[in-house]
Amino acid sequence: MTDVVDPKDVDIYRNLAGGVTTIQLLHGSANPIGGQSAILRLKWGEDAEGLVFQKMPKFIKFALGENVKQSNWQSYSRFPQTRMGVEQVFMDYFQRAKEYDALKKSGKPFRYDEEMETIAEILRGERFISCHSYVQSEINMLMKVADKFDFTVATFTHILEGYKVADKMAEHGVGGSTFSDWWAYKYEVNDAIQYNAAIMAEHGVTVAINSDDAEMSRRLNQEAAKTVKYGGMSEIEAWKTVTLNPAKLLHVDDRVGSIEVGKDADLVLWSGHPMSVYTKAEKTLIEGAVYFDLEKDKVQRAAIQEERSKLIALMLDAKAKGAKTQSPKQNQKPKYHCDSL
Amino acid sequence: MKKIQSYFYILLLCIAQVGFAQQTPAGPQKTAISITNATAHVGDGTIIENCTLVFEDGKITTLGGAETTTKGEVIDASGKHIYPGFIAPGKSLGLIEVDAVRASNDQDEIGSLIPNIRSIIAYNAESKVVESMRPNGILLGQVTPKGGRISGTSSIVQFDAWNWEDAAVKTDDGIHLNWPGTYRRGRWWMGEPNGFLPNKKYQEQVVEVMDFVNNAKAYGLAAAEQYNGPFAAMQGLFSGEQRLYVYANGEKEIIDAVTKLKAAGITHVILVGGYQAHKVTDILKAKDIPVLVNFTHSLPYFDDDDYDYTYKLPKTLVDAGLTVGLQNASASNFQTRNLPFYAGQAAAFGLEKEKALQLITGNNAKILGIDNNYGTLAIGKSATLFISEGDALDMRTNQLSRAFIDGRDISLETHQTELWKRYSKKYEGK
Repeated sequence: MTDVVDPKDVDIYRNLAGGVTTIQLLHGSANPIGGQSAILRLKWGEDAEGLVFQKMPKFIKFALGENVKQSNWQSYSRFPQTRMGVEQVFMDYFQRAKEYDALKKSGKPFRYDEEMETIAEILRGERFISCHSYVQSEINMLMKVADKFDFTVATFTHILEGYKVADKMAEHGVGGSTFSDWWAYKYEVNDAIQYNAAIMAEHGVTVAINSDDAEMSRRLNQEAAKTVKYGGMSEIEAWKTVTLNPAKLLHVDDRVGSIEVGKDADLVLWSGHPMSVYTKAEKTLIEGAVYFDLEKDKVQRAAIQEERSKLIALMLDAKAKGAKTQSPKQNQKPKYHCDSL
Repeated sequence: MKKIQSYFYILLLCIAQVGFAQQTPAGPQKTAISITNATAHVGDGTIIENCTLVFEDGKITTLGGAETTTKGEVIDASGKHIYPGFIAPGKSLGLIEVDAVRASNDQDEIGSLIPNIRSIIAYNAESKVVESMRPNGILLGQVTPKGGRISGTSSIVQFDAWNWEDAAVKTDDGIHLNWPGTYRRGRWWMGEPNGFLPNKKYQEQVVEVMDFVNNAKAYGLAAAEQYNGPFAAMQGLFSGEQRLYVYANGEKEIIDAVTKLKAAGITHVILVGGYQAHKVTDILKAKDIPVLVNFTHSLPYFDDDDYDYTYKLPKTLVDAGLTVGLQNASASNFQTRNLPFYAGQAAAFGLEKEKALQLITGNNAKILGIDNNYGTLAIGKSATLFISEGDALDMRTNQLSRAFIDGRDISLETHQTELWKRYSKKYEGK
């Protein structure tokens, strides 16, 4: 994902305006084993490389369920079509990667394979899995596959039935990054409940609230508040679901995620209680530098308005002088999320 | 063996309870209920502190301060809040259960100009998505067909019913028209750019809509020789019995839509969406067009729009003197339970809190034409209301303890609260 970062995407700025400083970028969920994800700091104004988290921990996207078995597609010919098949994809890849790694370490000649290199990193504990997941059977399955190959799944994302296997998740040591209240959009989220985060947290799972949505990601403070509303999490635990807990799950909690001497100054100044709908982010700082300032934003609005007026005046002037005209275009970008292909 | 069998039956009972999770609708109100010591948010912009509210036979009979005499069952709501039930316009709730499961989808009929398609007969009063609205205070909704140019005819329902007839509050209340756009999405699979392009067929599509509207009107002026279902379905728009909900967002589209539709003799035209409505408030005001503004939790359309554009739009329109309600028609149905928080967001960005509340109560009721009975707390109106432990527009404090529809004491349990309880038990003793 680091190869396709658009540093000028205005949603970076909008997220800053919602008090968001660090994000994990994951692509869609069409395949059981996906690509390498990126962790970014929203340093608006930097180039793509400047946004990447320094010494970025290595992650990879995995996916389970309806998307990887193409339940909602018109085609029926790609393996896997069932959750049974999904398990075998993992078993096959991990077995091959194990053998590949052993051969490589033995000093014997081997054929370099980028895929196997990446999967072997998982087996060696050098790369971590964020796995798109919904129902309890598949969650349990991936943990069992991991046990067989002696590694730990880092985080189940979405994980809407995590509450059904919270004890097993805690035992395996996997985190849960879930939606606060999404459900009813696919058959596999029929039993998705908004009490999921609270139940998982109560039973020892490190819980984060994820967004998977360009709009919702700029209101994570409100989404955290919903874990108090649904399931009665304490406000401190709820606040951790969008601060320290995701930092832990992304292995960056030595740098960010809480206010602590020695950590980076990634801070937000809120106008009121940070989990209230009535609260705004007034200033957002990353490594001590202010990247969003409500007062400065007002000044910039005026500047944009002025610039727009100037440009329109110039265009009208050019048109009056007989310059060539063209039909207007609209600059609206399509949005991508987890189900985009 | 017997013991095992009885365990089995208990287990079966548990499964049955979860399997058929729809809550049983509440029976009619039998005794008077008085809610005392509450902060009552009336829904018209005002508050009554230390309120006593009495309702009997489904209607509010008394509304006053602490001195008011109580009657029947008394609910002490000290430190708590009373709200009129929130109203969700433009939703296909009960017409689709699971977005990705085609068999559960009854929201979008084939055809482009199909006002004769009626939502009410397909409304599933036992939908699990519908019941999940209630614990957040959304007690009424406008069940609306989707898609096409004229999607069909909506009906307004209450959310605690055995079937669609029980549910209906106002049947066939309005017709929903998706006004053509001056821009359209590029068809990338046909080699066009994956952005937005000028819609060269805009005029043609507008003419098609207006021809249909005018022909429908002409059809109603004299006794037609042949029955025409779609034209017949439009007649309520010209007599004023029904409302026309026109979905438009761009400045040009809004002007075209309201000007042409009013000129065609449609009595009640309501603008839904209105992303650029603030640019044409004069026209909207002059033509007396209310706006059901887009929900605040949506992104600005353009890169150079202010980051809080959608948050502050309701206030801008209210300040301009328009009648403004709030809808999330384009969002997934399950999101409708976040309706109060969309209003809260508008308050965060400058709209006075009680006015923000008005967007989803008094104003939505007025715009939908059910304000004679719903939308505000007033003597003589339906006792469709709820008690919240805290401010219901804030997700931090929205916590319902009781809710009533037409005075009926409705359940606040859902498929989800039942799973919550079931799985909380799983871990007991661990």
